[in-house]
Amino acid sequence: MLELGNLSRHFGGVKAVDTLDLTVRQGEILGLIGPNGSGKSTTVNLITGVYKPTAGTLRFKGKDIARLEPHQRTEIGIARTFQNIRLFGRLTVWQNLWAARVVRERGWAGFRERWLSGAGAAREQAQALLEFGGLEHKRDMLAGNLAFGEQRRLELIRAAASGAELLLLDEPAAGMNAEEIQDLDHRIRQLRDQGRTILLIEHHMELVMEVCDRVAVLNFGRKIAEGTPAQIQQDAVVRAAYLGAEQPAAA
Amino acid sequence: MDFYLGLAQVIGIHTLLGLSAWCVLHTGQVSIAQGAFFAIGAYTAGMLTSMWAMPLAVALAFGAVMAGLVAVAMGFPALRVKGLMLVVATTAFAEIVRLFFFNLKWRVQTPTGEVGPDGSLGFGGIRHFPANGWSTLDVNLLIWALVAAVMALLWWLDRSRVGTLWRAVGEDELAAQSAGINLTATKVSAFGIGGCIAGLAGGLFAHYATHIEHHNFTILLATFAIAYPILGGLASLAGTLLAVIFIQGFLLEGLRFIGEWRSLLFGVLIVVVMLVRPNGFLSRALFRSRHA
Repeated sequence: MLELGNLSRHFGGVKAVDTLDLTVRQGEILGLIGPNGSGKSTTVNLITGVYKPTAGTLRFKGKDIARLEPHQRTEIGIARTFQNIRLFGRLTVWQNLWAARVVRERGWAGFRERWLSGAGAAREQAQALLEFGGLEHKRDMLAGNLAFGEQRRLELIRAAASGAELLLLDEPAAGMNAEEIQDLDHRIRQLRDQGRTILLIEHHMELVMEVCDRVAVLNFGRKIAEGTPAQIQQDAVVRAAYLGAEQPAAA
Repeated sequence: MDFYLGLAQVIGIHTLLGLSAWCVLHTGQVSIAQGAFFAIGAYTAGMLTSMWAMPLAVALAFGAVMAGLVAVAMGFPALRVKGLMLVVATTAFAEIVRLFFFNLKWRVQTPTGEVGPDGSLGFGGIRHFPANGWSTLDVNLLIWALVAAVMALLWWLDRSRVGTLWRAVGEDELAAQSAGINLTATKVSAFGIGGCIAGLAGGLFAHYATHIEHHNFTILLATFAIAYPILGGLASLAGTLLAVIFIQGFLLEGLRFIGEWRSLLFGVLIVVVMLVRPNGFLSRALFRSRHA
């Protein structure tokens, strides 16, 4: 579904992402892990268009998307959450969802949905997402006044509200307690079961090993391993990168 | 009584001007061009009634549309930058517009003599109101009916998805983009609607003043335009109105006895409000507990 080919992004002399090859397959949950500064967030920013790649290709559903603006990428089906939550704090929960729905109203299909079939279906979808995020009672609250865990859930359903098929979750478990992580685990699986594909960037190993179908490991902007969670856990290069001992080739 | 009716006209016109800046500020942009859109509306509407004897409604509508179109045309390039660069770009644009009218000479013969913009001498003889026997009260009614209409429109817009998009962009551009919102289109829409409202205000101003000149449309006017919604807060439309009443009614007229010192007070007032109530004087928190 998403193919990164030889993708690089350099900041001056720093190779934040270096000749990265990565494929996200339709319907899977792919984990992207790596030590701090290994290029995970830069990768997300390249995929969503916040940064333009220095070199390499970026294809989504077979189409080259390297030149698209961020909002155009959301339009064709890529949405994200942020490591440090970025909600519209002074809009209500409902308005946050509604703002993200607007991308679905472009073109003829959008026109028909909005003006010919009434807003009923759209409302129902938004309501279903609210319930999915456990926020149905907070509908008219300002997003900025929500508790931390609720804000994370709102950000997740806002990304889903855009109708995206591919969700990039940038450290969704950061700052959560064990119970909330359990919750998140269920929600990620449910989103996948609804037919979405998920790229999960995460530090929390238990969650990654638990929920992901496949895992890719970055270090110094390069992919050093890829495989099932079980394979990754056994991988000597990965262990070295994380534990810092017996660094093999990466320098 | 005449004094207050005269003042009410100014307050109504400046409320519209403040509301035009309110639209743009909603998307998180600071525009110094509102005075220029006001000038475009003033000259356009004034020329239509005085030079070609067009009906007032047509002239006002045309002035508003003209200012809105110019706002959209300049919005596309200008809104690619933000923050300080946008302030610089819109300031430059405001000066271009002012100097255009400083140089514009276009006189035509009418039954009542020669009228039209006369370069640096200004543009006099916009006498639609006196010529048609409008009293000050009539003019007031027209101005305030339009203020009410614009406020109702913006109130509705703010609650519709357009307002939601404006606010979303104003809150966090990166998050808005990621939610699929087209930043440029959203900002340009706010700019265009704001431009229309400023143009309408300008058209009213030209007919209220009967004589206009480039001097009326300096950067100071734009400063007032953005000061009103900033002082009144973006949370409500009434805030802008109250800020205009306070500044025009109290600060500039009420304190006339202290002379030119009151201009200085205007600056002091803005600094104080920014320090004490950074979200505007009438921001939401005023009506809620501080720890909500």
